[in-house]
Amino acid sequence: MADTIPAAFADNDPATFEVVKNSLYSMAAEMRVVLSKTAYSPILKSAGDFSCGIFDVRGDMVAQGPDLPMHLGSMPLAVKAVIRAWEEVAPGDVFIHNDPYFGGSHLPDVNVVTPAFAGERLLGFVCLRAHWPDVGGGTPGSYGTETEIFGEGLRLPPVRLYRRGEPLREVEDIIFANVRTPDEGRGNLRAQVGANRRAVTRLEGLARRHGPDRLLRIMQGVMDHSEMMMRQALAELPDGEGSFEDFCDGDGILESGETEDSPFTIRLHVKKSGDELAVDFTGTDPMVRGPMNSPLAVTASGVYTAVKTVADSDALIPPNSGCWRPISVQAEPGTVVNATLPAPVVYANHEIAHRVCDMVYMAMSGFAPNNVMACSQGTSAILAMGGVDRRTGNRYVNYEVVKGGFGARPGKDGINAIAASVANTANTPVEVVEMSFPLRVDRYELIPDSGGAGEYRGGLAARRVWKILDHTARATVCCERSKSPPFGLFEGKAGAPARIYLIKADGTRRDLNSKEHFIASEDSEIWYEVPGSGGFGPPSERDPEKVRADVRDGYVSVESARRDYGVDV
Amino acid sequence: MSWRIGVDIGGTFTDVAVLDEVSGRIGIVKTSTTPRDFVAGVVHALKAAMARHGVPASDVVLLSHATTVVTNAILEEKGAKTALITTRGFRDVLELRRSARARLYDRNQEPPAVLVPRHRRFEITERVGADGEVVIPLEEDELDGIAEEIGNEGVEAVAVCLLFSFLHDDHERRIGARLRAALPGVPVFLSCDVLPELKEFERTSTTAVCAYVGPILASYVERLEQATRELKLPPLHIMGSSGGFLDVTESMKMPAMAVESGPAAGVVAAAFIGRQLDEPNLISFDMGGTTAKASLIRDGRVEVTSEYEVGADANVTRWMHGTGHPIKVPVIDLAEVSAGGGSIAWIDSGGGMHVGPRSAGAEPGPVCYGQGGREPTVTDCDLILGYLNPEYFLGGELILDAAAAEATLRERVAEPLGLSLLEAAAGVVAVVDHNMAEALRIVSVERGHDPRDFSLVAFGGAGPVHAVSLARELDIPKVIVPPIPGGFSALGLVATDLRREYVRTFYKRLDEVPPDEMSEALSAMEEMGRDMLVGAGVPEVRRKLQRAADVRYTRQAYELTVPIEDGDIGAAHLAKLAEAFHARHRTTYGHDSPNEPLQVVNLRVSAIGVLESPVLKAGGRGSGAIDAARRGTRQVYFKNAGTVSCGIFDRDRLPWCGDVPGPAIIEAADTTIVVPLGWRVGVDPKGFLIMERSDDG
Repeated sequence: MADTIPAAFADNDPATFEVVKNSLYSMAAEMRVVLSKTAYSPILKSAGDFSCGIFDVRGDMVAQGPDLPMHLGSMPLAVKAVIRAWEEVAPGDVFIHNDPYFGGSHLPDVNVVTPAFAGERLLGFVCLRAHWPDVGGGTPGSYGTETEIFGEGLRLPPVRLYRRGEPLREVEDIIFANVRTPDEGRGNLRAQVGANRRAVTRLEGLARRHGPDRLLRIMQGVMDHSEMMMRQALAELPDGEGSFEDFCDGDGILESGETEDSPFTIRLHVKKSGDELAVDFTGTDPMVRGPMNSPLAVTASGVYTAVKTVADSDALIPPNSGCWRPISVQAEPGTVVNATLPAPVVYANHEIAHRVCDMVYMAMSGFAPNNVMACSQGTSAILAMGGVDRRTGNRYVNYEVVKGGFGARPGKDGINAIAASVANTANTPVEVVEMSFPLRVDRYELIPDSGGAGEYRGGLAARRVWKILDHTARATVCCERSKSPPFGLFEGKAGAPARIYLIKADGTRRDLNSKEHFIASEDSEIWYEVPGSGGFGPPSERDPEKVRADVRDGYVSVESARRDYGVDV
Repeated sequence: MSWRIGVDIGGTFTDVAVLDEVSGRIGIVKTSTTPRDFVAGVVHALKAAMARHGVPASDVVLLSHATTVVTNAILEEKGAKTALITTRGFRDVLELRRSARARLYDRNQEPPAVLVPRHRRFEITERVGADGEVVIPLEEDELDGIAEEIGNEGVEAVAVCLLFSFLHDDHERRIGARLRAALPGVPVFLSCDVLPELKEFERTSTTAVCAYVGPILASYVERLEQATRELKLPPLHIMGSSGGFLDVTESMKMPAMAVESGPAAGVVAAAFIGRQLDEPNLISFDMGGTTAKASLIRDGRVEVTSEYEVGADANVTRWMHGTGHPIKVPVIDLAEVSAGGGSIAWIDSGGGMHVGPRSAGAEPGPVCYGQGGREPTVTDCDLILGYLNPEYFLGGELILDAAAAEATLRERVAEPLGLSLLEAAAGVVAVVDHNMAEALRIVSVERGHDPRDFSLVAFGGAGPVHAVSLARELDIPKVIVPPIPGGFSALGLVATDLRREYVRTFYKRLDEVPPDEMSEALSAMEEMGRDMLVGAGVPEVRRKLQRAADVRYTRQAYELTVPIEDGDIGAAHLAKLAEAFHARHRTTYGHDSPNEPLQVVNLRVSAIGVLESPVLKAGGRGSGAIDAARRGTRQVYFKNAGTVSCGIFDRDRLPWCGDVPGPAIIEAADTTIVVPLGWRVGVDPKGFLIMERSDDG
């Protein structure tokens, strides 16, 4: 291996390299701790919907924290946007922005970017992208079924929030005049700025200890090192190519006379050759009217997550911009996987990224069958709702996610109700929801038979039911795979599709589309059954003892055991 | 004479510490752990220690014990067959957890462990709302069917956790009463007893852990008590995870409190050292074969946390939340990283050097042990660099094979990276030191404490080899090595207080707290604490009650614990509480918001039976020349100096007040102390070695 030592090790001091690399990753992890403990919104403090990263002077990501894979591809653009917008960057400056057409992902994801310096010399940036529960727009949670980005909420290009350590009140005032829960927003923003400050202090400390020249050299080396490992990992996979076509439920927009939104199609072709991999989206449908249009960087995040899972399941390759150099993503502008202004984007951020990630597994299953997994839940399954809490007279916004199945793997069952692929946010405890909002959660449980049958069974989905107490709420659901259930692999069956419905106070039931804005009146119940996940291998090959154990635990019904597995219990 | 005796069971050794309260004399005895019958091992160790130090049973005033029984039951999945009863609609609370995964890209990851399988999880019709009012009354009759199924399943313990039971405990209590009557001999743990606190998954998990380990702890303690009674020793105490003893009866009510029993003893020992040396601010560092642990003592007090998972997986620098079982009881704030003497050095496919997390452990151990190890470890590198004496390891019990260590390191690390042997070894040590320093950083910098205000205490046989290097990483100015670093943590067992923590959710905005209500809630807990202390035979003069509140800004999710002053609660108390919170937030996170409303979440009372802290007796030699302790010199490699000829000294013959400049190596039977260039070492009359930075260190 002596001939493959990267340039970063030219100092001939691999130990210092490893030490500095570990420091960079642990400062991103420390940002996470600071943000969780100080932020105000459940979506940040409990659910963890944010990502932290350390960036070089050009805006390439040197280290991502143990955060959301969804942000892998798009975080560097968030920092590059600041660099493009502002030539002069000084110690103590802090920038903020959220524009998906200028380095963001969707409007609720607010980026705070802070430069780090050794004296007056720029060392790089830290960026914390956090999902705010509301950034204005037509509906609580900024998750409306809009047809232009202008309706989705406040669009903020990269602007200064602090100049040389002094807060600039004007910008903050504009922001908080435009969001529904300004006090909460201010708390979140303080937490973001504070977490960045912690990382900047550490980065500046590293420069003092090792010298800025050496630090900057190592930061480049860290990315080169990941690139080299990724190439090695890709080279070890068999060469081959494969295609897959899949359709999404719809964009949430009903044309006149329709009761359901229309499905649209994504096509992709994966080619792996030597130490490189290319994904081409030719043939994918043009942009849709509703917010299911994905900026290219978001689409790329889905690809990157899949490739990392396929090629580097042991997570030995530190995630950063270097990893993605051997990977190319081609998509025609103006399609649902490469959105252009002014298309709305808010749902696509997670829904298209999820979809693309699962599709890459299927496309690669022909030539790398042992490295892929069956389709997982394929959605972030969001409920955003708000109204006025009569207990306090205050406006509230509740944003929750419900988790479905994690797909079956070669040799292993899937996992029940846990975040998969590009997502990794947590649920909000039932008792916290009820203490914070005028809601009662009546059920939170696994759904039997929702895991696709297979030699290895798919993971089950969860069901959550909210009852609206003493007020009328405006709610939005955003889910996928209600029409195209999560596929199985190698004769494994598909998992259960999503089902969402409203039970009114009088007991009548109304089925909801997977993306819909609706009114939930007092005492009505929102039932949210998220998708399960696919099985792996033919169900007839499953060990009957495992089927019996599943029936005993109620993961599989007696009927399904007989029908799908041919096992009488 | 009045002796205190503490027994600490570890994986390999059982350590016994004896301390005479009158003279301050201490002794430590090491015996082998007997995994097949821990009780027999403890009895053997006790007898050995009492014989060695001439301690008659009638002179023993305190007997305490740190046990791994609870932790092992969880790690080895050998706990009791447990059933769980939940509110209808919430059967899966234990399995749904918080729904995030621990490993982002690992397609082969295992599902997180669940203590109670689904077929032993039962729902019952009932519901309490967020205001504590009953929404659906308890259908008590459903219990007949449940009890029958539980009986048929051969269940050994039951956990009951209903929604909002911390606001309204009547439903859980009625279930408890009925089940206990229906299932005699099966312990029933109620979440309103175990942890009357917000957040259903964490509360259920804590209650389930108690049920899962309760029967095992009970049978172990019962057998042990019988054995110690036969030795005519006083009543047994168990070391609790928060750094205080538990009365045996108390430990049965709350078995989860015995989880980090052993490590807690170590941290208490560090605090004890602080008292001896008048050093109130310490970071303790314990280096073993597989992991390194750090914790922090501030103003003489051990820091505790209630965010802990038992049985979690490790990665290189952080414990992985989401893989173990959360228990929300106060546990000493311990950061643990998987790095130690047995950590294996390896090269990744991109030519990067790594150390750990895989460890050669005790079996097969490092290459130089000659017991079959084939991969280079940190201990091998310590030997190659000249820190360890191959002829005098463990006092000469094991002769180390330096040639084998060198050959392996050369082949696996040095040659692939184009480094010399010494550069490779120094590189491995630098990487592992940095990984271990991360544990120190987590308990200090990450919690808002400046390491420069602390001294480092090094435990474990290997700790003193690496301690100064870690201190340098974090600019810690002083390193303390106790007399017997490999067994010193057992001394924590004889140097702490009787202690039990009570917690109760008190969910109110601070500016809306009715003072009387807070007084009442605190008094109720204080009364429980007082009863416990009376029951444990603690005389009034030694009873102490401390109060605190968990507070946060109303919209945050994580609280900080701040003390509440004594006396009936009035406006002044509440104002002081607010001030203390803002200040704590500022030091921890770098900012505060004095105009934001505050939320009180929990009230806490610690009931303490104070034991006097003895003063250690001076020992060693008061005079003599340093040269009398010199054993010779050998070539030792230091990163900042290269290979130098380094003086080797015998710890036992170093005189008091001796002052040895680095580079120097101090050898003892159970450890080696490395003093690099730029540091110096002195001997304290009580037997501590104190290393301090010289000007250029």
